[in-house]
This record gives sequence, C-alpha cells and structure tokens, in this order.
Amino acid sequence: MRDVAVLGVGLHPWGKFENKSVTQLCREAIEAALKDAGVAWHEIQAIAAASSRFSGGKGWGLNGNDVIEDMGPTGAPVYNLSAGCAAGGNAFNIGYSLVAGGLYDVVLVVGGERMPKGFIQMSGVQEETDPEYLRQVCVGMPGPAFWALLCRRRMEEHGTSEAQLAQIAVKAHKNGAHNPRARFRQEFSLDDVLKSRVVSYPLRLYEICPVSDGAAATILCSADFARRHTTNPVWVAASTVATARMDDGIPRGLATVVPRGNTEHSEATIAVKKAFTQAGVGPRDIDFIELQENTVYYELAFPEEWGFCEPGEAEGLHERGETLPTGKLPINPSGGFLCFGEATTAMGIWQVCEITEQLRGQSGPRQVPNAKIGLGQTLGLGGNATAVILKR
Amino acid sequence: MSKQIPVVEGLFAETAAGPRLVGSKCSGCGTPYFPRSPVCHNPDCRDQRVEDATFGPRGTLWSFTIQHYAPPPPVKYDQPFQPYALGLVDLQEGLRILGRISTDNLETLKVGTPVELVVEKLCTAADGNDVTSWKFKLV
Repeated sequence: MRDVAVLGVGLHPWGKFENKSVTQLCREAIEAALKDAGVAWHEIQAIAAASSRFSGGKGWGLNGNDVIEDMGPTGAPVYNLSAGCAAGGNAFNIGYSLVAGGLYDVVLVVGGERMPKGFIQMSGVQEETDPEYLRQVCVGMPGPAFWALLCRRRMEEHGTSEAQLAQIAVKAHKNGAHNPRARFRQEFSLDDVLKSRVVSYPLRLYEICPVSDGAAATILCSADFARRHTTNPVWVAASTVATARMDDGIPRGLATVVPRGNTEHSEATIAVKKAFTQAGVGPRDIDFIELQENTVYYELAFPEEWGFCEPGEAEGLHERGETLPTGKLPINPSGGFLCFGEATTAMGIWQVCEITEQLRGQSGPRQVPNAKIGLGQTLGLGGNATAVILKR
Repeated sequence: MSKQIPVVEGLFAETAAGPRLVGSKCSGCGTPYFPRSPVCHNPDCRDQRVEDATFGPRGTLWSFTIQHYAPPPPVKYDQPFQPYALGLVDLQEGLRILGRISTDNLETLKVGTPVELVVEKLCTAADGNDVTSWKFKLV
C-alpha cells in the first residue's frame, strides 16, 4: 500500500440554501479544494462521491456524475458510494484505497446535500418488507426517539443527569461559535439548553442535531505527487469501513437478539479499532476526535466504546473541561453536528476537512494546541460505519 | 361497532393463551427472529432450517423514551397528537423488541420494569375502524 496525502480541502458553508442546487454547493467546495491543493480540474484522475437519497444524483445516487458533468466531463471514472449517513466516510475510504492501491495518483472525494425540512427521515422505502418502514408504522419511532432510548438506558446505568447532557451542547456551541462554516454560531448557557423543549425524552431540541445543506471536498494524492505540491502534507494514517455484527444489541429493524453483555454500535467500534491497528496507534496517541454526535449521548458512549476511558467516565471528562480544544481529549472542536446540522452524506468528508485544518494549525480560536493526530468517525443507516485517522 | 384491523398483517396473533408476536426460530442455533425470517442469519450457524415461533407475553423494559412531538408520516396517530411512550423490551424468549408502552402515566416509567404484551388500538383508520398494533403494558 502506498502512503496517501490529503493535499487539499474545501467546504461550502453549512446552512439552508433554497436558491442553490446541490451541484452548485459541490462546485464551490470542489473549487476551494482544488485551489487549496494547487491542482487543476483536468488533473483529477478519479472521483469518489457520496450517494445521496435526498438531493441530486438523478434519483439514482449518481451524485459523482452530477459533479463531473458540471465541473467538466473529462472521462475520469466516477464511483458513487452509498452508506446512509456514513456515505461520506465510505467515499473517502474508496478514494483512499484507489490512491493507496496505486490505481490513481490524484483523486477527488466529494459529498453534498440539500436536506428536506424536519428531523431526518430514515427509510426511503414504503414497503412492509422494509424493517425501518415497519418501525415507523407499527411503533412510531422517528430517529430522535431511537437516540433517546439509548440515552435513557445510559442514565440508568451510569446516573447521567440532564444537566450533564446539556453541558455537552453548551461545549459544542462554545466551539461552533468560532467556526465560520458552522450554521449555528451562537453560544448557549446551560439554562438555555435545559429550557429548550423536550423532543424525545430525555433529549431536548438543542441536544439533537438538525439537518442542513452543505458540501465538502478533499483532494487525495500519492506521496510523490504531494511532495511536488507541498512541503508539509497531512497524511492518511488509516481509513476503515465496517458493518454491524450479529450480536449487536441495537435492533436495525423491529427486533434483535438479546446480547450477552453490552454490545452497541459494533460497526463504529470495529471501524475505529481497525483504524487504530492500521495506523499503529492507540487512544492515548489521538490528540482530538471528530465523531458523529447526532445527539449529545454519542459524546458519552463513543469515547468509552473505543477505549478512550472506562464505562461511566465520559461524563467526568466533559465536566472537567477535558473535551474542550484545550483539554486532554478534545471532542468535536469544529462544533460538531450540533452546530453544523447534518448534511448527511457530506459529513464524513467535512470531518476530514476539519481534521486537516486542525493538523495544519488553521483552526483559529478552536485550534487544538499542537495537534498531530486526529480521529474521525461516521455512522449510517444499515449498520454502516467508517473511521479515519489523519496525521502530520 | 368498529372492527380491529392489524397495522400490518401477520406480525401478531390472538391465541388461546393471549396475544403473541409471530416470528421464527432457527432449529440449529435457536436464534429468534421477528418478523418471520425464511433463513437463519447467524454467521456462526450453518443450519438453515427455521420454524415458526411465537414470542411473549413476558419481558422487562430495557429502556424507553417519551415522544413529545408529532412525527412525520408514515407514523400513525389520531389528531390531536398526544405524547406517547415507546420502549425496547427484552422478552423471556431472548428477543429484544421495540414497541409502544401502554400507560396513562408517562412520568412513572422505569428502566427494568416488568411488562406484558398486549394488542391495542394504535389509531383510527379513515373508514372508522381501529388500527391495532402490539404494545407493552406495565405489570
């Protein structure tokens, strides 16, 4: 396998852009990434794109084809990758693999979304054979209710308080307030969060990520190509993909087998632990994490499930300020999904952009001091997960 | 008198012993499935014979949530929207299943509470009949 560098990153700001197509959002992100990399469009040898079910792609998830038609049809191969909310991470993994495997020297990875209004709707299939559809019609369980169930269980096991949950949202907005691409840039007090309305008990409105429009692009290249363009590249130390195991205690549809012990989010745990192995690092070596917090609960569960601390210790990390950019384990210094809102298939690529800028020292007031290694992670419908470790 | 129409056919049945969920069980490794599965999905099991199985009524509440906002379609509810509880229940047969919690007192729900399977009205259909689903009541 060859070394792979992140040569350029580009983002369209997150928000609601009713007068722009998803292709326009992608174009702006790609042009920013090309400029950042110092690469021309005709130098892109292949495209790995996240497939969306919400916007563009001719209804077939052909979002990469929309991009190449718009940017200029060079005849380059296009790979459209579908993995629910993990699609951006999945596309990144394919872009990485194409360069690492020696097939191409310069690859564009891109994801963009224009999301429909309201909380995210999981299923795209209205059939009685679809488990997600059955969940909606038989039980009445939208996405936030699913996260709320897991959160309520945690409160029982570890005594997590509602104030401890709210504090994580306060931290997110303290970071996001300094991020010019974030959609929600105001700071909240603990009281503001606790007074926001309960959506699915115990989760409140400000503790759940909304949906947004946005686009992200990265230019990946071989070490030889990188050295001709920069003296200080960011390297991909690991890029992994995983799916959920049979013994996972979280039902994908209506039911699952009662697991032995606590086995949750197995897809994310497998992806992250594989990334540690691939990069030859452990939790202690990671300077900061950009993880998928659809709700504040995940900032408690994930660090424990990945071995950053023992079960029940994550609340303390947040309370002591250790998850701030200046703490021992900064989590989501970007402001995270809470401040950006989820532009589903763009998120895995957006994380790579945020991590790259941190490693370059370009993150301003939310900069993690002396950041050398960063971890990113996504989780998507269907039991999909991805992880990425970047280093300088 | 309005008729009782299951929200989806074939998922639950009224038996002599009371309401039961209708699923499958692997003849080899014993893995329970709901809804029915034509095969066993356990990657460590080579046996592909599954038999019909019924599940319920007893279990414990693994966790729950209270839905405070009206969810978008295809979720079904009567107007005006009233908050409802739903939970994840570990049944004695080793199946962990989602379901509505049937209770008038949303504030008193507790993780670990024993529950029992019931079939109750979910909402009113356009033709005035009752749409039913499985739920869990506190015991």
